[in-house]
Amino acid sequence: MIPSLLSDVRAFGAAARKEWRILRRYPAMFLGFLFWPIALPLSYVWQARGYAGDSQAAIDAFAARSGTTEIAGFLFLGWAAYMWISMILWGPGTALRTEQVRGSLEALFMTPVSRLVILFGPVVSQVIWALWMFAIVGVTIVIVFGVSITGPEVGRAFVVIMIGVPALYGLGALFASVVLRFGEVSALVQAVRGLFTVFCGMSFPIIVLPEWGRAIALSLPPTYLIGSLRRVLLIGSDLASIVPDLAILLALGLGLCGVAIVAFRRTERYARRGGSLASY
Amino acid sequence: MTRPMELLSREPFRAEARAAWALARKELRMARRYPLQLVNEVLQPLYQFLIPSLLLGATFFVGGRALGLEEITGSDDLAGYLFLGILVGGLVGTAFWEMAFGLKREMDAGTLEPAWLTPTRPETLVLGRAISGLIVSMAASLVLLGIGVAVFGASVAGGVLISLPALVLAAFSMLGVGYLVASAVLIIREPNFFVDSTNFLFVIFSGVGFPVLVLPSFLQPIAFALPTTYAVDLLRVYALGTRPLLDPLLEWAALLAFASLIIVIGRRVFLRTEHRMRVRGTLGQH
Repeated sequence: MIPSLLSDVRAFGAAARKEWRILRRYPAMFLGFLFWPIALPLSYVWQARGYAGDSQAAIDAFAARSGTTEIAGFLFLGWAAYMWISMILWGPGTALRTEQVRGSLEALFMTPVSRLVILFGPVVSQVIWALWMFAIVGVTIVIVFGVSITGPEVGRAFVVIMIGVPALYGLGALFASVVLRFGEVSALVQAVRGLFTVFCGMSFPIIVLPEWGRAIALSLPPTYLIGSLRRVLLIGSDLASIVPDLAILLALGLGLCGVAIVAFRRTERYARRGGSLASY
Repeated sequence: MTRPMELLSREPFRAEARAAWALARKELRMARRYPLQLVNEVLQPLYQFLIPSLLLGATFFVGGRALGLEEITGSDDLAGYLFLGILVGGLVGTAFWEMAFGLKREMDAGTLEPAWLTPTRPETLVLGRAISGLIVSMAASLVLLGIGVAVFGASVAGGVLISLPALVLAAFSMLGVGYLVASAVLIIREPNFFVDSTNFLFVIFSGVGFPVLVLPSFLQPIAFALPTTYAVDLLRVYALGTRPLLDPLLEWAALLAFASLIIVIGRRVFLRTEHRMRVRGTLGQH
């Protein structure tokens, strides 16, 4: 391995360890990581029960529109993806913002490490939480709701998640650029999260959207991520049958990463020239 | 002109009421400085709860009707059901985030101790936040209800007016709950998760988004122990013609009892917590 790459890998590990150490100082956050992956989807499961009542026709209507009778599995997977997306949207931008507020961002940019380390190093610790969250969701839907998930299905879901990573991290990096340029990102994150919640089918199949809504949904990466996860875990589809969706997800991801790299370089140059790196 | 200290010694209630209103005006003035945040008061419930819930409901539609919901509640007006629920959800949010978590914001800003050194009672300082929070929340709820009627076809028209006293009684109960949560916020150093999760559970168990009868039977007593469950139920009974959870007379009596009890308990717990923190000198620590 060439020396600079090795140094970057070590810096990456150090950034992740630092964030993990900070996380450990706030044990209340651990409770959150246990509470929300169960409580949020569970509230929608109860809501679905209220909508279904004892009407077989209503349950059949759900199955016809969503392609599965596993209502709990459908909702838990949708909201697990939502929480993961939220983490990543907040992740890189918030990490940079925190460094700005602490006054350590300029010092960080003075170091010779790759910008990728600065951008994604702190987010690595969140991957642990993402895996933890999916594990909790998996255990809940298998044990509490009796959804059958086999080992190969878990493997396929892992492949889907990995293919979704570039798209989500690309979005996260774009938000980080906004932080460098404008300082505050929470309103934008709220807006984008709202867009995803309304259109990407966290709690519903996108077939219930009007035609224009479906067109928007099909241009957003989370739609493909959530749809593919549901198909491999709830309907038992193999990867070959969802190749078109995965290809679109990957293409969107690569496109977003490309745009994010250009945007981040430009905003960094802008911030260096204007001396606004540490101002917020 | 009467000086504040004179007014405080002669007419303490009037002085406290003036202080609460002054605080509410200050909060409202600050809120006006962030118009996007005010817009978000309307948008956030829409995109975070109402639209996903409506679309989930649409997944169960049979021939364009919410048959399952009708079977349980007696009404198939899904939009009306949810938009009325959010009226009570707004009340809950005010108690948890404005009354209680507002103290944390004061702590972070370092203004809690100076404010509590003034002759105004600490519970009045919390009440001021509650008043401004209720005004903002009610305004947002009215806009949301308008959107529900105009865009989503909710048919709630006149019935809401008949059930307004239920909302008022629920607001009094939530003042008491707000005092209780504020006491916890004073004690817990990092109350974000506590406030967020308890607010969420309060909303869920009140039946804001679904009929509480679908909760597992061991959890239903929690729902029946919350004043907001009765408020949201009465709203729906009068506005949508849903089947009541209990005899409406009983629900009114429960609301009245909660309103008079919780506010007394909440205030007492808050004052005791505040006193303990003054004795220990931990008011400024967070």
